[in-house]
Amino acid sequence: MQRHIDNRSYQVEILPPKQSSEKLDQDLESFASRYTRVLEAGYCACLTDNAMGHLAFQGLELIEELSLPVEPEQVMIHLNTFHTKEGLDQILAACRARGIKHLLVVSGDGSERLPKLSPADLGAPAVESVTSVELLGYIRRQHPGAFNLGVAFNPYEPEEHEFEKMKRKLAAGACFVITQPIIGNHPLLERLMEEVKLPLIVEAWMSKKLHLLSECVGYEIPEDTAYDPVANLKALHAHYPGCGVYLALLGFKSQFPILKSIWV
Amino acid sequence: MRIVVCIKQVPASTGVSLDPETKTLRREGAEAIMNPFDTYALEQGVLLKEAHGGEVIALSMGPLRAEAALREALSCGADRAVLLNDRAFAGSDTWATSYVLAAAIRRIGEVELVICGRQAIDGDTAQVGPGLAGHLGWPQLTHVCALEESGGKSLTLRRMQEEGYDLCGLELPAVITVVKDINQPRIPSLKSRLASKKAEIPVWSAADLGVETEKLGLAGSPTRVVKIHPAPCRQKQTLLIEGEAAECAQRLVRELRSRLLL
Repeated sequence: MQRHIDNRSYQVEILPPKQSSEKLDQDLESFASRYTRVLEAGYCACLTDNAMGHLAFQGLELIEELSLPVEPEQVMIHLNTFHTKEGLDQILAACRARGIKHLLVVSGDGSERLPKLSPADLGAPAVESVTSVELLGYIRRQHPGAFNLGVAFNPYEPEEHEFEKMKRKLAAGACFVITQPIIGNHPLLERLMEEVKLPLIVEAWMSKKLHLLSECVGYEIPEDTAYDPVANLKALHAHYPGCGVYLALLGFKSQFPILKSIWV
Repeated sequence: MRIVVCIKQVPASTGVSLDPETKTLRREGAEAIMNPFDTYALEQGVLLKEAHGGEVIALSMGPLRAEAALREALSCGADRAVLLNDRAFAGSDTWATSYVLAAAIRRIGEVELVICGRQAIDGDTAQVGPGLAGHLGWPQLTHVCALEESGGKSLTLRRMQEEGYDLCGLELPAVITVVKDINQPRIPSLKSRLASKKAEIPVWSAADLGVETEKLGLAGSPTRVVKIHPAPCRQKQTLLIEGEAAECAQRLVRELRSRLLL
């Protein structure tokens, strides 16, 4: 992941089409176009896993069904704890078969329609319910050395609690860290960089939909707040020059074309 | 085993509001989804087929747009689907609806099991499954929460009761209605979703079914809605417990016990 930072290569989030899509063909076309543009630009395509608990198609099945190319360094699959054991194993096997190395392992947002991995599924009978820590451990045990595993850091959670969780994630095999969206800068990132010597990627919120950002950060940001996503992206580069940047909800019409001029 | 699963397309509950003037549901613009309880019925049908062979047929009565729910059923493992659509069906209550569905099941032929969701989330009557059993003259078991044994000409099922379970044997052919505890419905893959888009779904009319027209629609429905009024709003109450941690914990336990929550 450090190579991405050294090469000034963005992590670009791409949301797979939702299961409820009423214009699936159009959505698939749009997904394929975005994915291809990201790869052609030399960036890393990050495919979410039922983000916010909304049922969507899996990144890998999209790649396979749409015959999309895979550049091992340029694809990151998000993987959360809302799968069946069989489904999880299939995803991991398919990632290996396709040469995909980067996985972002998160606890995730569930929904009534999604199954949840059990502690027994992941060989972790001592815990009551599984989190990204148990999932990381399982992947490391089942596929030693096969994946570069990333984890999330949420600076909006209580500080000590979040750092305690980070310790467990590190012990379970985390290789890089991606933050929740950062607006300008956040004081906890200094401590994170001091204590965790892993490649760090800060998340830039590229949408003006602030109600969704409020859900991510866990506090209410008034909708009428002036927010310039591009200015925020530039501020993140200025504050964190040694970090990578993950672009959430990027606008592919107006924002994507100017990225090359921002991180030069 | 030939299994029919009854599917209803309903408005998503989050998209429905109550018209304060007419006291009726405003469904316009609400997202149309497969009735959530029917997803469990469908999954159980597919699991039975996977275990014993046979086929699963998704059956729905509704407007032409209900075809979307049937395509979803196909993407979740149903082998084929049939839509019952006719102007004469409009306004049917649960009795008339189950009469039409029963006629379709007879037309399909050699059906051994009909599975319905416990109830639809729009009408909430839970009457169509039992109505179907009545029209077909078949035994029924409602609120099924587990399948204990299958194979042969009977099923052993667990029926959910308020304070436990009944273990029941059921001779086939039969009708069952299922609750959410019975399984975890699968999420359709992209491949199956794309395949379902190409499937042909036959549409059967009243004439195709040979049903008696006086038993259809509003005229054929014995139910009369005399009055509709909104349920009283739930009163939310926040209790702030302050003090030392141990004291707060004790008070919390007391409060929960007093509400029979512990």
